[in-house]
Amino acid sequence: MIELHNVVRTYGRKVAVDGLTMTVPEGELFAFLGPNGAGKTTTIKMMVGLLRPDSGTVRIAGLDVVTHARQAAAVLGYVPEEPYLYEKLTGREFLEFTARVRGFDRRETDRRIAAQVEQFRLESFLDTLTETYSHGMKQRLAFAAALLHDPAVLVVDEPTVGLDPASVRLLKDHFRKRVAAGMAIFMSTHTLAVAEEIADRIGIVDHGRLIFLGTRDEVRRQYESGESSLEPFFLRLTSNGNGQAAPPKVEPSESPASAQE
Amino acid sequence: MNPPGGEDSVAVQSNVLERWPDCAAADEARAFWQMRVRRAAAHVRELFARSRFRLALIAVLSFLLWAGMFWMFASGFEFLKELPHRVTYDQTVAAVFAMFFAALLVMLIFSTGVLLYGALFWTQDTRLLLTLPVRVERAFLHKFQEAVLFGSWAFLLLGSPMLLAYGIVDGAPWYYYVVLLPYLVAFTYIPAGLGAMACLAVVAWMPRHRTHILIVVGVLAVGAASWWAWSLTFGSEGVMLTPAWFRHILGRIQFSQQQLLPSWWLSAGLLEAAHGSWHECVLYLTLLVANALVCRQVAVLMAGRLYRPAFQRLQTHPRPSRGPRPGWFDRVVLRLIPLPVAMRQLLVKDLRLFRRDPVQWSQFLIFFGLLALYFLNIRRFGSDTRHVAWVNLVSFLNLSVVGLILSTLTTRFIFPMISLESRRFWILGLLPIRRETILWSKFLFAAAGSFLPCCLLVFFSDTMLRVPGHIQASHQSTCLILCLGLSGIAIGLGAKMPNLREDSPSRIAAGFGGTLNLVVSAVYVLVVVTLTALPSHFYLLAQHSLTSGIVSSRPEVLAWLHFWLIAGNVASILLGLVATFLPLRFGMRAFREMEF
Repeated sequence: MIELHNVVRTYGRKVAVDGLTMTVPEGELFAFLGPNGAGKTTTIKMMVGLLRPDSGTVRIAGLDVVTHARQAAAVLGYVPEEPYLYEKLTGREFLEFTARVRGFDRRETDRRIAAQVEQFRLESFLDTLTETYSHGMKQRLAFAAALLHDPAVLVVDEPTVGLDPASVRLLKDHFRKRVAAGMAIFMSTHTLAVAEEIADRIGIVDHGRLIFLGTRDEVRRQYESGESSLEPFFLRLTSNGNGQAAPPKVEPSESPASAQE
Repeated sequence: MNPPGGEDSVAVQSNVLERWPDCAAADEARAFWQMRVRRAAAHVRELFARSRFRLALIAVLSFLLWAGMFWMFASGFEFLKELPHRVTYDQTVAAVFAMFFAALLVMLIFSTGVLLYGALFWTQDTRLLLTLPVRVERAFLHKFQEAVLFGSWAFLLLGSPMLLAYGIVDGAPWYYYVVLLPYLVAFTYIPAGLGAMACLAVVAWMPRHRTHILIVVGVLAVGAASWWAWSLTFGSEGVMLTPAWFRHILGRIQFSQQQLLPSWWLSAGLLEAAHGSWHECVLYLTLLVANALVCRQVAVLMAGRLYRPAFQRLQTHPRPSRGPRPGWFDRVVLRLIPLPVAMRQLLVKDLRLFRRDPVQWSQFLIFFGLLALYFLNIRRFGSDTRHVAWVNLVSFLNLSVVGLILSTLTTRFIFPMISLESRRFWILGLLPIRRETILWSKFLFAAAGSFLPCCLLVFFSDTMLRVPGHIQASHQSTCLILCLGLSGIAIGLGAKMPNLREDSPSRIAAGFGGTLNLVVSAVYVLVVVTLTALPSHFYLLAQHSLTSGIVSSRPEVLAWLHFWLIAGNVASILLGLVATFLPLRFGMRAFREMEF
């Protein structure tokens, strides 16, 4: 569902993403980890069409995000770290707008909004202006808008920041339910515990390069041989842990063990 | 690994395109309009609910401005109509229209280009729209229409009184009034489309040089306009409003009547309508509408090709590093100003924020630049700088204009400073400094920052009017009183009535506290200027009469006026002290006790 092939993106002389190649198939929750400035948000922005790669290709459901930007956006749901909501619209009006530009008629729009309202418990604040919402309320509305059209791919950047424990639980359960139904979820996060709990596969990126890629069990096997949890393993792999330069990048075909050699 | 995108991808694509509906262009447009109408309605509802006072103030002031301009234009047209030759009247009106619309043409190209640059590339909602399956042309049009609306409201406010006044004075037929709006809308679309095309082209093809291009074009435009204005006023010969003067001025603005300019089509079409030439009027309207549609369509086509790549390119453009050393001006403030260290640091911080926010310094530059231009040309507008009453009156009027403009700027930029600082109180509140130090540093920043340009402007005005030295000194002291008082009011009220919910300075200034600050500041300016100007005016008049022997003023009258002159100045100083320290005292008490 998500395919990145040899993707490079620079900001002037700084290489933000350096030859990234990976795929996320249908029905998988992929957690993308990395220190600050590792290239996570740049990768996400290329997936959702806000940036284009300098070289390489990014495909969503087989659609190139550069040449078929609009079609790719149709099958994609995106929740940024700080979602933008039109502050002079109510939550319902915002959902209506996103549904209408996605091509749903009035009846279908109402049906889908009702489903999201129930799913994310939006009833109590749905008809007030979004400018009055707390961060958690905004985040829940943004998720409702991103999932309104039942996308094939969901891309989320730091989904649990600012949410209370109940909302985090709700979100995690919801993610697993959607993945079970076939959705591919790409989640960037700093919360290692969340990644370890719900992700099918974990990728660690540093200095724009993928330095580890493996399933949840493979990650556990890796750190249980030397460390007590994912955190020291993550710190050892990334330059944050030892202050050294980033390890060489890993190709998806390589085994996690070989990636660390 | 093989590159993706083979047969499997094609199969997924066709499957995907069937599963999600494609929004028709008309439905998409309808969704955007609905969203826009809902946002505007919510905004209006909020204004009525929360800011009735401000709304009423804006409505009344706008009406007064509109009515004043209508009266001025109507009087002007009446005056021209009384000229002996109908030809002169027609020529002058045609020249005024052509010049007015040509100036608007240039200004609208600039304003739309700059507004669109911000709206298309640096607003958060464009990031949302570009991740939705919205046609990129629609996202562009959404922002384009907003820019047209924002860019043209001033045009309507300025243009409508002139055009209505002309229609009434000239006895235009009914369809003149009917075609006014379509003419103005069609005309506005042409410069707006050109501005949009320029904006897209510069960002897409020359993203690294966009700022340089804007600066060069801006400097060239301002330079050309200044040169033209200078030659128009200083280059004209003889006495104003004589036939020779008219011929000279008409010759100078001949370039605005080039028949390929859309402004000329607008001008000619409206004049034809006013003169009852229905067919010619429709012809020019058709010409304008056709060109407006072409401009819009070309801009949309360009957006379809360029907008997304330009947006993506701009987002990854590296930000320049400012280096670890502070600038020379900051170093001067940090090392040489004899103030406590904390206050110097706060001053430098505010200076940096001011310098790096073009919205702030550009507004200062525009307002004070226009005033400077007017002051430098003041002799052309007046009758005689040897007439003491006229000089005194105009010099004090200029002083009050400087004060009133400063009051709008302190309301817009100084008043919100405390509210904005309160949002950063997690750092300031925990520093080992007294809270009063924060307010004193803001006050110093505001007073010193406003006094320098204001005293310079007053100096320009007085020099051009040949005001005597001791009166100039009095004006400078009044100017200082105004700057101190306005800064004290803005800081004091800003601390007393902070808005901790908003993070936009313009919204904080537009709230009740900001409106109150504006009203109090305006009243303060008028009272201070009246206290000093009126006694000065009568005293100078009496003195002039006495010395020139026009009337035989009694010495006791002069002594009495002299007393009032001193009393007025003392009263203005006292009022200045009260306006400076009383709001500051209230503000400091409130700021000390404020919970964040």
